[in-house]
Amino acid sequence: MRLPAITPRQIVMPLVVLLCGALVLYPIGFLINASLNVGDPSAFPPEEYGLDNFVNLTDDYRALANTLLVSCIATVLAVIFGFLQAWILTRTNIPGRQRLERLMELPYYMTPLIGALAWGVLLGPKTGLINQVWRSTGAPGDLFNIYSAYGIAWVMALFEGTVAFVMISAAMKSMDPSLEESSRVLGAGKLRTALRITLPLVAPGVLSATIFVFAEMLGSFAAAFVLGIPGRFYVVTTQIWQATLSFPPDYGRAAAMGLSLFGVMLITLTLARFVLKHGTYTTITGKAFRPREMDVGAMRWPLLAIAWGYIIVAVVLPLAALLLTSFERFATVILSQMRFTFANYETALQMGSVGPAFVNSLILAISVSSIGVVVIGVLAWIIYRSRMPGAGVAEYVIMFPQAVPRLVFGLGLLWAWINLPIPIYGTLWLLGLAYFTVFLPLGLRTIASVVLQVDPSLEECARVCGAGWVYQMRTVTMPLLRPGLVAAWLLIFIASVRELGVSIFLMGPNSKVIAPAIVNSWLSSSSELSAAMALIQTATVFVAVAVLFSLARRVTGATQ
Amino acid sequence: MNQARIEVSDLIVRYGDVTAVDNIAFAIAPGELVTLLGPSGCGKTTTLRSVAGLETPTGGTIRLNGSAVYSARERRNVPAEKRGVSMVFQSYAIWPHMTVFDNVAYGLRVRKLPQAEVRQNVERVLDLVQMQAFADRPASKLSGGQQQRVAVARAIAFSPSVLLFDEPLSNLDAKLRAEMRVELRELQRRLDITSLYVTHDQEEALAISDRVIVMNGGRIEQIGTPEDIYNRPQSRFVADFVGSANLIAGKVRGQGANGTLIFEAEGGMELEVAPSDAPRERTVVALRSSYVHLVRMPDSHNAVPGRIHRRMFHGDFIQYVVDWPAGQLIVRRPPTELFEEGSEVTVSFLPAHCVLL
Repeated sequence: MRLPAITPRQIVMPLVVLLCGALVLYPIGFLINASLNVGDPSAFPPEEYGLDNFVNLTDDYRALANTLLVSCIATVLAVIFGFLQAWILTRTNIPGRQRLERLMELPYYMTPLIGALAWGVLLGPKTGLINQVWRSTGAPGDLFNIYSAYGIAWVMALFEGTVAFVMISAAMKSMDPSLEESSRVLGAGKLRTALRITLPLVAPGVLSATIFVFAEMLGSFAAAFVLGIPGRFYVVTTQIWQATLSFPPDYGRAAAMGLSLFGVMLITLTLARFVLKHGTYTTITGKAFRPREMDVGAMRWPLLAIAWGYIIVAVVLPLAALLLTSFERFATVILSQMRFTFANYETALQMGSVGPAFVNSLILAISVSSIGVVVIGVLAWIIYRSRMPGAGVAEYVIMFPQAVPRLVFGLGLLWAWINLPIPIYGTLWLLGLAYFTVFLPLGLRTIASVVLQVDPSLEECARVCGAGWVYQMRTVTMPLLRPGLVAAWLLIFIASVRELGVSIFLMGPNSKVIAPAIVNSWLSSSSELSAAMALIQTATVFVAVAVLFSLARRVTGATQ
Repeated sequence: MNQARIEVSDLIVRYGDVTAVDNIAFAIAPGELVTLLGPSGCGKTTTLRSVAGLETPTGGTIRLNGSAVYSARERRNVPAEKRGVSMVFQSYAIWPHMTVFDNVAYGLRVRKLPQAEVRQNVERVLDLVQMQAFADRPASKLSGGQQQRVAVARAIAFSPSVLLFDEPLSNLDAKLRAEMRVELRELQRRLDITSLYVTHDQEEALAISDRVIVMNGGRIEQIGTPEDIYNRPQSRFVADFVGSANLIAGKVRGQGANGTLIFEAEGGMELEVAPSDAPRERTVVALRSSYVHLVRMPDSHNAVPGRIHRRMFHGDFIQYVVDWPAGQLIVRRPPTELFEEGSEVTVSFLPAHCVLL
């Protein structure tokens, strides 16, 4: 009996897995290679290998100390914000909780970059809007200088507070209320129940949120860049960036720093996952319960104020400041000095390199997300459905970019593609390829959650009915995955429009994109122009979300 | 059995160290409906899925219409879509993003039939399952029973040579299940389609099958007609799993009258039991609880005094727990035969109903 003919499935599956795996591993390999280079830093392949780059990391102890300081303050603040919001919104009976819970997504959409710009406008020394008001009352000096460790920590805490909120409220929601009820029935009071039952059950969730936020903080870049550079305050990520700017660029040192940062982050993230998995009691299942609400009586008004306060401080105030500034000739809150203008928006859309940056970002976002969902859709099916040998390893490799700080991955991509004989460095092609690589985990996670919900017998039935693999994928699998594909498209689109860490390394003079352009404008020209650009970027995201949601509603409405 | 539609021989399915199906063999004649019956994890679904081509066996041969679709020796494994079988899934597997019509037409369109022929066939089978009025309905808007009918219509639409059922009725409520059972059997008879049916419901298996294959732990315990399986179980497992039976421990003492055997139960009581080909060392007798009377029967050889310990009224029958010399006996009687708890009775049954295991 001769071997059966090779089917499309046997070609497509290994091809997709190998391609995606190579895209991920190739830059990381280069990063390791560069970090061991102790000869001429710009030579490739290295003339001499050694560990000097790692040994010399101790020279950067100040950046390391700064990173720890910022990360610790931001983590503590973020967990306090997140815990308070989670408790108020899931366990108390304050009015309008559902709406508040939905609004809690907004700080996440603000991104650290927008947050940093807005708080720079609000609390920059002398020119900051709040500091202007402060001085106008006759007070000496500034109320607060945002260009400092505390400023960076504050901006990051507002952003990471939402992350902590999501993780902690998930832990609170997944707790069976009968555990508390049985404590009450057995005679324990409110306080005793809270201390002896509720707190121990929620503690692992809080702890893992703390570690997770801390790990994210270690790798964060945008806020430290926007608020740290003007005051020459460096953390590890901005130090890496600085190392690549020196002449000649010290890629070896940058790579060694990046890899060490990645190592520390990987250990912390693993610890967070370990705490969540082993520290959690089996009574907390994936099942969502309706938590018992506590009647907080007259305390509900202060609690309501706290809940709204977070959203106002994290979203409304920064956006309002950017909006006001973007329409002004000079950023001010003194009524008599206000001069309103549309010039900033006109400049943003026309200016030599800025206008094209918007266009480039849109082209990239649309094509990366469109091609990405198809490839990642097939990839998700292969990993979670096909029972292909090695699918577990493939999943691990594809999820890798998630644990690498974006800036460090950008460095690896830069070094990898500069040294490749294919001339795509400095073109949109390279940016597209880089975006696709770093957003693989985002897309895979989103689509996987839908793949796992699709009953395998729906596909098996197609096979039994006589459909081949390609026919089955086209007529059954992909249509059933549509909600996941739409969600993944949207998330990748949003992430692409805002991408900074990778773009800042890979964009060339003819392939500028929006996020680095905003940062450059902030550092080199005016805050008014930057505010306008940031708002256009934010508006693009909101329009995309709105269009896609109405589209999705029409599609699902038509089938019902 | 050369004309067998489905022929499974020496089939082995292993997952790592676990042997799900352990060397089983059976054959199904054209037009026959054969059931694989057993508890969950006995390998019945794995066997069915191996026939469909959805599971890759470790060893053995599977033939459909005389040609091998799987053969370990010839290294042949025809993919599911090329086997020409059809299947009704436990979850129905109705595609929610299509209409009823599109669901049923799927197998016909895959085979690139002309549009008119597709329409004609879909209408024919929807008519058979009485779902013609629902053709343009989105499949997500159907009740469980309706989905079940569409799943059957889809499975028979492209006239497969063999139809496989994977616990098709297990998601329906009890009343609907009993109705669908009759309809499925009716349809299968009318179309004269060879069927392999998997269920863990012994009542369902007995009711709809031409023959039943009882499986346990990956092996076949017994193959036979429903009456065979019920009246002449060949193992303790079959007696226990199919229907309600009392297992009486003891040993064979000698030859009785009319070819019966004398069996001495634990406690010293002697019973006349049915003759058996099985070796005389067998130490258990199975006695169906429905075959036990609580008054002396005229020509019974086995009549023993007993006492009603507990009575449970089930509606269609009454279940008694009776104390008798060999311990306790489960007895099922029609609801007309009412005895008070504690009353003295005569337990009486035919030797033919005592099956030596």
